[in-house]
Amino acid sequence: MNESTHVSKQFDEDLFGLRTHVLEMGGLVESQIRAAVGAYASGETGVVKDIVESDHRVNAYEKIIDDETVTVIAKRQPTASDLRLVMGITKIVTDLERIGDEAKKIAKGARRVHEHGLPSLPRAADVRHVAEEAVTMLRDSLDCFARLDASKAAAVIHADAKVDSEFKATVRQLITYMMEDPRTISTALDIIWICRSIERIGDHAKNVAEHVIYIAEGRDIRHTGKEA
Amino acid sequence: MVNSMLFQVVAKTAVGAAIALALGMLVSPVFGWGFFSVFLLVQMASHLGYFLRLEAWSRNPSPDRDLDGDGIWHEIFSRLIRHERQLHADIARRDQDLKQVAAAGQAIVDGIVTLDSGNRIGWCNRTAERLLGIDLKVDRGLPIANLVRQPEFVSYLAAGDYSRPLRMSIERQEDRVLSVHVLPYAGNERLLQVRDVTDIERLDHMRRDFVANVSHELRTPLTVLSGFVETLRELDLEPDEQARYLGMMFDQSVRMQQIVQDLLTLSTLESSPPPPERDRINMSALLANVKRDAEVLSGGRHHISLQIEAGDIYGSESELHSAFGNLATNAVRYTPDGGQISLYWKTEGEQSIYSVTDNGVGIDPKHIPRLTERFYRADLGRSRETGGTGLGLAIVKHALSRHQAVLDITSNRGEGSCFKAVFPAARRAA
Repeated sequence: MNESTHVSKQFDEDLFGLRTHVLEMGGLVESQIRAAVGAYASGETGVVKDIVESDHRVNAYEKIIDDETVTVIAKRQPTASDLRLVMGITKIVTDLERIGDEAKKIAKGARRVHEHGLPSLPRAADVRHVAEEAVTMLRDSLDCFARLDASKAAAVIHADAKVDSEFKATVRQLITYMMEDPRTISTALDIIWICRSIERIGDHAKNVAEHVIYIAEGRDIRHTGKEA
Repeated sequence: MVNSMLFQVVAKTAVGAAIALALGMLVSPVFGWGFFSVFLLVQMASHLGYFLRLEAWSRNPSPDRDLDGDGIWHEIFSRLIRHERQLHADIARRDQDLKQVAAAGQAIVDGIVTLDSGNRIGWCNRTAERLLGIDLKVDRGLPIANLVRQPEFVSYLAAGDYSRPLRMSIERQEDRVLSVHVLPYAGNERLLQVRDVTDIERLDHMRRDFVANVSHELRTPLTVLSGFVETLRELDLEPDEQARYLGMMFDQSVRMQQIVQDLLTLSTLESSPPPPERDRINMSALLANVKRDAEVLSGGRHHISLQIEAGDIYGSESELHSAFGNLATNAVRYTPDGGQISLYWKTEGEQSIYSVTDNGVGIDPKHIPRLTERFYRADLGRSRETGGTGLGLAIVKHALSRHQAVLDITSNRGEGSCFKAVFPAARRAA
């Protein structure tokens, strides 16, 4: 896949560079989520500012990669697997950018919870666990993209169901707290927003995996249920 | 050489053809030329046969395949086979060398990855595979930054300044710290050295903490002390005022003395020979002592009970006295007035267990794993207020581990605590 060389060596270089940029962007986003969840779990909200600021870098990556894809299409008119790679990349980049936004939301939510929230709500363990699952999904989907490994990508897609169900369980638990004691409502809502962001990250990671399958095999499995 | 072979061929053919011609001429000229042609044809066919053999062999040259001929062909064939055999031996030797180099690479404790000028993975050993999450079978030729995507690593690789290693945490395994170093070699090639420095990092951290803590713990009373000395020197004070200050100075110097004493105890524990294996400790006397000390400290504010159900053990009496005493006095310190403290010496299966249970303030479970670190304090203010040095549990843990015993702490905030020293069967006195 795509490893077969083209007549123009420069074309290969362009495609490789494009992929590397996407993966660098993915790495950045990944570390953002990690930092955000870490801030939430530990209560050290000093890093929140850094996370919010590093979002500029993610956005810059998005623009660079978009420019590069336009250039590749204009100059090389890619076909077949190369075309799929370029198209897939434009979609993956959108998903990664959204994940960056969610990381920012988690970081800000963590700050709210720790600065104004009620300390009595049990909050670390469950959320951290779900976050761990979502981050693993993202990491695996990026690994799949690096290796263009469709079978591993299918596994990532299946993992999303687990994140979804854990998200629902956490929400149910928080609802019982809110019913018991209305004072917990605002903090619980903040925590629910954080979980929601984590759940969205899972969804985006799943999308990335779907794009990888498209790039690797040319099958479009979006919105088709459990065929993967 | 070539000429002599050519000469041989030409001479053989010419002589043979001439003989054939001469023999044929004896019958008639037609026969003569016929013999001549037939001879040449046979010669030709024989050469063609050898040529075909050579052609077939060259498709899959191997020293073991039969390739034999006559005359000059024999010479050519054996030369080829000899060359082929030489080649095979060379390749085998080189394979062996390569295998040895690869095995040496695997034997290196650190992770090793070779990178080309585009930072693509050439080869890596298993340690590197494990630490960086690389799978060499699929990932050979991929840029390493595609798999190790931490922004700090990517920028380290891109910056091109490899004079010092980079420390980074791994995303694939929580809480591990890696030191990665790019070492350029042979022009544009690079060697990436990966080392798991989690333990070193942790030790470093502990050492830094320890030194900082010792200085801090000693500085606090020292500051107070020098403050009072200055006051006494500068100001003309009433005698009772002076006596009060001197009293406070005495308290501070006692505190410093305690800290130094505890530090010395710890370093003695660390450096002295292991505790005796066959010295019997009279547990009922020792525990009665411990209880009396605790009662003195409590001053009647707590109910302290002692229950002895197990027998004596072997070990160092002074070390265990300080360990058991520390646990009991801790309970007194952290239990509000009127609280209940029970000391219990019992057997559970083969083990002997000393437990101190109180219904005091308790400890947040998140502090428990670090409680025995030197100067670690769950609650800073309270600990100093009650006269702790921050070294008590470190001493306890050390003294116990020298007796192969373990310290087991169960506690929850507001629910009191239970400290258990669990001794193995081997320590039980017969």
